Formats: sequence, structure tokens, C-alpha cells
Amino acid sequence: MKEFMMIFIGADYTELGLSPEDLQSRMGQWFAWHDKMTQAGIVSHGNALTPQIRRVVGKNRTVTDLTSAEVKEIVGGYYIVKAKDFDAVEKIAEDYPDYDLGGTVEIREIMVFDQ
Amino acid sequence: MEPKLIDHLFRHHSGKMVSVLTRIFGIKHLEIIEDAVQDTFIKASISWRNKQPEYPEAWLTQAAKNRVLDIFRKLKTERKHLPNINLGTDAIAINELFLDSEIEDAQLRMIFTACHPKLDARDRISFALKTVSGFSIKEISSALLTKEDTIKKRLLRARKAIEQSQLKFQIPQGKALPQRLESVMEVLYLIFNEGFHSNNRNILIRKELCGEAMRLTQMLLKNELTRTPEVYALCALMCFHSARLETKTNAGNELLDLKNQDRAEWYIPLIKMGNSMMNKAVVDQTGFSCYHYEAAIAAEHLRAKTFETTDWGKIHYWYQCLNALQPMPIHVLNMAVVCIQNQDLEIAKAYLDDIKPEDFEQRAYLFYGAKAEYFLAVNKCNDAIKYLDLALNTVNNQLEKDYLQKKKLKLLNHK
Repeated sequence: MKEFMMIFIGADYTELGLSPEDLQSRMGQWFAWHDKMTQAGIVSHGNALTPQIRRVVGKNRTVTDLTSAEVKEIVGGYYIVKAKDFDAVEKIAEDYPDYDLGGTVEIREIMVFDQ
Repeated sequence: MEPKLIDHLFRHHSGKMVSVLTRIFGIKHLEIIEDAVQDTFIKASISWRNKQPEYPEAWLTQAAKNRVLDIFRKLKTERKHLPNINLGTDAIAINELFLDSEIEDAQLRMIFTACHPKLDARDRISFALKTVSGFSIKEISSALLTKEDTIKKRLLRARKAIEQSQLKFQIPQGKALPQRLESVMEVLYLIFNEGFHSNNRNILIRKELCGEAMRLTQMLLKNELTRTPEVYALCALMCFHSARLETKTNAGNELLDLKNQDRAEWYIPLIKMGNSMMNKAVVDQTGFSCYHYEAAIAAEHLRAKTFETTDWGKIHYWYQCLNALQPMPIHVLNMAVVCIQNQDLEIAKAYLDDIKPEDFEQRAYLFYGAKAEYFLAVNKCNDAIKYLDLALNTVNNQLEKDYLQKKKLKLLNHK
């Protein structure tokens, strides 16, 4: 088993004018997905990120504060999952609830050094 | 497995939170309040993904309290006019406002503000759905089959009217109350009708509108000030109609008239609830309202085991009462239709001679449809077809059009 990170990009709820009803139903889908992964024992952990961004760039360490509106593709959260390979994670990622809002799932393998 | 949240929990809580915060900060800060509430639900929807709090409702109420502080800070930095709040000692008073009974009180204030006569009649519905019911602009627009831009304009106009008239966020007292309650009932009645008679093909949206109107009506019944026979009658009427909402169209989304609805599918619990509401509505036996008579008519239809055994005489009588109280061409038209069913064709003709298609504006097809029924009853098939054509020429709603078309085909085949 390897470890992978699913990174969720875009579909920022703060910018989409979703109604309370929409939000509740999306949350329900996230619950269901998390439940499914937990029961299958594949999710190790995950977090959602707040939309504030402080960016430090270049050798001068230039600092800018950004909001989600100023960033095209904001990372909204991630899950670390255990799986056999990329194909298996791709299967898991099918249930990500926010594709219809323009969201993207990026799958990355966590690097392991075997000395 | 996480326990499933109560249906519409967010939507209903959003209405509660906006109302309570408005009570604290004043209606002129409504926009800031709505943004803060929206923000709370976004946060909840994201941070609850992996773990739901044990008591979601308490969590949301606490979040609303925390918003008090946020909004206070925000108003302070923007140097907006601040209400008289001293966050230290007043925290106790603010806490009180989050008690269930006080939340209900705040929601009633919001309903009464939304239904204030200073607001344009059409703006009231949109404004109420937004602030009291927690619908988004998009949801309102699809529920009312109106463009989002139009809804935005209505909401803006409503807010402006509130600002310009400096409306107080309160339940009117004394003599002003009955009059304003009438306006509230009218808005709830309209919201219900938007759901019940809507052209909307989406049955879910229609159910939500009807359900919302009923929920708000029941909220009025919870409060002593607004618990009147008229409100009971309105509630009864909504129960009776809702009981057959699902049978109004068939699986192919074709419109079914009362004759062709599956009576076995009428929802009994709602009929029972309607009956008990009706009993409370008639306790003092005096001064029946339009809602009383409309509920009586709806009840009479439900009472009949089959279409053929409908007591048309009684329905005719209730319509007469209704028309005496509130004379309207549509009541006359309905009486004509009832009389045709009862084979009182002379009387039916007299009613029809009394009204003109222009009385019904865009709904002139209803008049032509009734005329067609009449001519069919007196065996003048050609005239019936002529009027069906007139109806078909003026109808906009596709469901109604299909219905009339089918009727015409049947006539042509029987000729």
C-alpha cells in the first residue's frame, strides 16, 4: 500500500453564492464520501483550508496577502489516502462532490525513501 | 455513520439567524447580517465534512452568537451607525435573544417587516423567501419562474423601501395588527399558490414552496398575537390543497383535473390536520373570511369518494358566500363550472353571461374553457370546439395547453 494525497482545487464556496440548502446538501455528499472511505479504511487524514492566503515570494521574501477572489485556482483542502496505485485513487476520487462547481482533484503520490 | 441532518436545517437556521441578528443590529444592516450568516454556513459546510458536531443546532446558534461580535467589530471599523450595545453587560441580554421563544419572536418580526404595505406586493414575496425562509436568489428565481436579475431588483427595491420608510423591526401592536396580519396572510397564500398552481415542472420546488408557506403559517399559529381564526382557516386551506398536490400531475407530468386524479393517493394525514385546523377556525362561528370559504370548498372536494358523488350544491353555496364577501370574476366562473357539473345549466349560463374574457387577463383561457364545458353540456359540440380553440390560442402554460389539446381531440373523435 502506498500513500497518496488528493488535493482539491477550485470550487471555492465563498465565491459561488450557494444557498444554505445547497451547502447542506453538498456537506451531506462530503459526509457520505468520508464515511465510505473511512469504512473502507483508506483515509488516514485530511483537512479543509481557509481561503486566506499569505504568499511569500522570491529571494526578497516579498509578502502579499491574497483572498480567494484574487487567486484563480485555490487549494481548498486535501485527504491523505492509502491505496494500491494511481488507478485505485482515481476510483476513490470519482465521488468528490464538487466537480459540477468546476472543482478539480489532483492526485499525488507521497514520496518514500527506502534508503 | 454520521447521523443525517434534519432536512432544510441550514435553510431554516439561516432564516432564524438573520432574524435574530436583525433584531440586535437593526434592519438597516441587513446586508452585512446576511453576508455574515452566509459565511457561517459556508464554514459549517466545510468544517463539518469530516466530523459533525454532536448538537448541530446548538453549534449553529453558538455560531450566530459569535457573529454578533464579528458584525459589531465590522460596523465599528466601517464607522457605521452602531446600535446601543455595550458588549460587556449587554451580553446577558443578547444571550436572552437566542432563546427559542425569542428566536420565534424575531422571525415573526421579520415576516411582518417583509409583508409591510410600504413594500411593493411582488417584492414582498421575494423578500420574505430570502430573509425569512433562507432561499438564495437563484432558488427564488427558479421557484417563481422569474429571471435572477428581476429577483435581485425586487430585493433591492424592498430594502430601499424599508430604509426610506424607516420601518421598525417589530410586530405591530393594537389596531395596526389585524390589518398587517391580513397582508402577511396574503403573502403566505401567494407563496403557497406559487407552489400549488405553478407552471413549474419541478415537483420538488413546488413542494418546497407549499411547505414553506405552511411552516410560516404554523409559526403564526404558535404566537398568541397572531393565532386567529383566519390564520387557522388559511392553514386548513393549505393542508387540504397540499393533500392532493402529488396527484395533480401524472407520471408523464400531464395535468390531471379533479375528475381524473387518483383519490386513493390523496394524503390522509394532511386532510386530518386540515380538519382539525378547520375546527379551530370556526370555534366562534362569526365573521368567516375568504380563507374559511376557500377551505370549505377544498374540504368538500376531498370529502367526495368519487368525482361523481361530489356535493356540488354545497360547493355552489360556499362559492356564493365567498363571492358575496369578495366579489371576483374568478368566483363567478367557478360557480358556472360547478353548476355545469350539477346540470344546473340555466344558472351556469347566467353566470357565464355575467363575465367577460377580459376579466381574466392572461388567464382568459379559463373563461373560454368554461364556455366550452357549457356548450358540451348542452350538446353543442361545434361551439364547444370553437371555444376550446379560443382557449388554446390564449393559453401560455404548456401543461394547460396539453390538457386542452387532449380535450379537444377527444371531442373531435366523439363527433
